[in-house]
Amino acid sequence: MKQITLTVDGKEVKGREGDTVLDVCQANGFDVPTLCHFKGLTSVGACRMCVVDIEGERRINPACTYPARDGLVVQTKTETLERYRRLMLELMFTERNHLCMFCEQSGDCELQKMAYRYQMDNVRYPYTFPSQPLDPSTDAIAVDHNRCILCGRCVRACAQIEANHTLDFSKRGWKTMVAADLGQLLGESSCTLCGACMQVCPTGAVFSKLSIYKGRTAECQKTDTVCPICGVGCELRVFSKDNNVILIQAPEPAQPRGALCKEGRFGLLRNGHLRVASPLIRDRHGRQSESTLDEALEAAAEKLKAAGRGSTAGVVSSRLPGETLSLFDNFVRDVLGSDCIDTCDGRSFRVIAQGIKQFHGKRKGLDIECGAEEILQADCILLVGADPLKTHPVIGALIRRALDERKAKLVVVNVERDVFPLWSTLWLKPRAGSEGAVLSGLSKSIIDNGLVKTKKTPAELIQSQRRYWTEEPVHSTGVDPEKIDAAARMYAEAENAVIIYGEGLLERNDSNLVTLLLNLADLTGNQAGSHLRVLSLKPHCNSRGAWDLGIADKEIPRGKVNGLYLLLGEEQGSERLQSWLRGMDFLIVQASYQSPVTSMADIVLPSPTWAEREPGEFISMDGRIYESRPVVSPADGVLQDREILVRLSKKLGHRLTPR
Amino acid sequence: MAKPKIATAWLAGCAGCHMSFLDIDEAIIEVAKLVEITASPITDFKEFPAVDVGIVEGAVNTTDNVEVVHKLRHACKILMAWGDCACFGGIPTMRNMFDKNELLRRAFVETESTAKGRIPSSDELPRLLDQCKPVHNVVKVDCFVPGCPPSAKAIHYALVELLNGRIPVLPAEMMKFD
Ligand code: SF4
Ligand code: SF4
Ligand code: SF4
Ligand code: SF4
Ligand code: FES
Repeated sequence: MKQITLTVDGKEVKGREGDTVLDVCQANGFDVPTLCHFKGLTSVGACRMCVVDIEGERRINPACTYPARDGLVVQTKTETLERYRRLMLELMFTERNHLCMFCEQSGDCELQKMAYRYQMDNVRYPYTFPSQPLDPSTDAIAVDHNRCILCGRCVRACAQIEANHTLDFSKRGWKTMVAADLGQLLGESSCTLCGACMQVCPTGAVFSKLSIYKGRTAECQKTDTVCPICGVGCELRVFSKDNNVILIQAPEPAQPRGALCKEGRFGLLRNGHLRVASPLIRDRHGRQSESTLDEALEAAAEKLKAAGRGSTAGVVSSRLPGETLSLFDNFVRDVLGSDCIDTCDGRSFRVIAQGIKQFHGKRKGLDIECGAEEILQADCILLVGADPLKTHPVIGALIRRALDERKAKLVVVNVERDVFPLWSTLWLKPRAGSEGAVLSGLSKSIIDNGLVKTKKTPAELIQSQRRYWTEEPVHSTGVDPEKIDAAARMYAEAENAVIIYGEGLLERNDSNLVTLLLNLADLTGNQAGSHLRVLSLKPHCNSRGAWDLGIADKEIPRGKVNGLYLLLGEEQGSERLQSWLRGMDFLIVQASYQSPVTSMADIVLPSPTWAEREPGEFISMDGRIYESRPVVSPADGVLQDREILVRLSKKLGHRLTPR
Repeated sequence: MAKPKIATAWLAGCAGCHMSFLDIDEAIIEVAKLVEITASPITDFKEFPAVDVGIVEGAVNTTDNVEVVHKLRHACKILMAWGDCACFGGIPTMRNMFDKNELLRRAFVETESTAKGRIPSSDELPRLLDQCKPVHNVVKVDCFVPGCPPSAKAIHYALVELLNGRIPVLPAEMMKFD
């Protein structure tokens, strides 16, 4: 980009073409006050705090919307400007009811800080004392319109970060209000509770009900870590005080991966499950009772010894860091002498991995998939058997952004429902089990209609792909063949089409479905560098890390083992897992929370939570590596998972060391 | 030189500002050395004598508040507004979001613990104004020390500035609205 030169407060400074005057000032260290501007969101010039004097202009102008030009001469700090800024501030205070003494945001409020900066010790204009409502209708966010300065940051965050467009302004002039949808309460609106509006609001107008009055951010310890829930791997900035987590924010909310979802931002603050506070041993009468850790380890060692080497399987949660997973791997293989090991989500991996293996591409393994950022570049998205708004909400937000910003088309293939009802361009609804025929139909349609974008001839393509095509004719799938042609055309004619698939498809346990999707991308040349524009939604925050370690390579053969060591961490354990466990002779569970699984166990050992766990490595579903950090110290009597495994190994006569 | 005289008044406020003044701890001895405190809720003067500095806590809410603040304004050379209620209106102005009569009914008749209540009406009693206001909306105010309550440090700073012949404006780092 072309460099430009401006004069700011008598100093010559450099900027780039396309910058605003504010960008140039900030990049060069001039402290221009701002309220409505938020880094990464568009600027609208609402608050007028950033006014500057530009030579040649008849009036003062907001720096945040004024395009910088070569040769501009700018003043940022004249007496007139400072007078106007103080005046704007006073007007903001008269417009609503700012009673800082009981405002949640006091001490963290940007408006208040600005008033201090301008030594606003009284307000010269009459107050309006409007009667403004408080909207407490959601269980996480409340909106107090008394504190709103109509800066519009929330409206832009909702549109540009979450791309949900719940918030907008209603009415006009001094009656203007921030409104959800058509004036609904937030709790009855389309709001996803992503919390982006809350984070960017400069005042106490939008705040977290889960964090109020627990402390100001300046009094808190700040820890950057990674979200311990789904595979997206969102980064979290966690604020804690007195060993309590009190607020979670995104470190860079307006960056491409800066959104958070309801679970990451609020759910982690409100875990309703009871902790496993003490080790438990099941007695002869079948009752679980509390024991010391040493007794529980002793009992576990006895069980494992009695069962004999090689007869116990190990299953581990892929929500645990790489270090723990790898140590567990050693524990199962070396200490238990067993090659039966899996993750709770291992089946999904085997379907994906086999599907990739069958695909005749150059790269092998999960690395064949693209990064989640590709979604933002997409002009067509094919969403197959996935419900990202439920399982990977931030992926859902990226999809909406692509629909918004790129006018992308969205084709949903889902046997149950249209998972993006207001947004999808087309919904193909195959009968359950007919997904293969629909996906084959898409390939055939692309080949038949000459929409192929590779150098291979159709004959070669048919040759290589036909073995994954299903015999089932398209018209029996329940989907109108014309719709399949239309979808094929949308997908093939797009420049950057991204395929996203998830559990709904993997549930079929059919790796051919995965191969079919990879073939589709291949047919249409949908490559980003050496990756195919295909992305699988992996269930947990470290599924990818666990799978890369080879833990889920092989299914545990039914009947081969009679006991199970389950390192469950914070997972609850699926129905499927539970029904498998019922057939076991004995069960040892290491878990953070009480669950049906822990109540089935012979021995229960406590495990730390995400906030207590020692630092570790996580790999997001698209291969990004993150470091997690502990936020608080573990609850009484809770040891790190590593410590438990080491002590138990010792009782079994082994020295467990990380590989 | 004789010690400068100070008088303080308590209008519609919670007394927190006066408490905060007493909170300046041993500095109060220093202040007492420098100034003479005359009429004040913490002394027992009935009328304001002529003073150098008048200090007001609280917003102007009733006819009595109006009378008092005018008397103090006449009695003093410099009038200082103390605390958020005096400077900005503060908590008492929350009543401005309701109708005055509705408010009186709620307070004197409808309170859960009141039986057969009635709204007091006697010429002896001060009446509620239509709106509760910050002090400078009623009389001229020369300097402001916000805070709910203002910190002892801010109060001390403002007094020392005045004693040194300057009109105090709190520096940004001493400003506090809560
Ligand atoms: S939003 Fe800010 S300025 Fe307004 S009352 Fe709350 S803390 Fe004070
Ligand atoms: S709610 Fe907050 S972010 Fe939204 S306009 Fe009001 S002050 Fe700005
Ligand atoms: S929480 Fe998210 S979706 Fe809801 S209004 Fe705020 S930004 Fe919009
Ligand atoms: S999308 Fe997933 S990783 Fe991101 S905040 Fe939500 S649960 Fe956490
Ligand atoms: S920051 Fe520029 S107008 Fe608000």
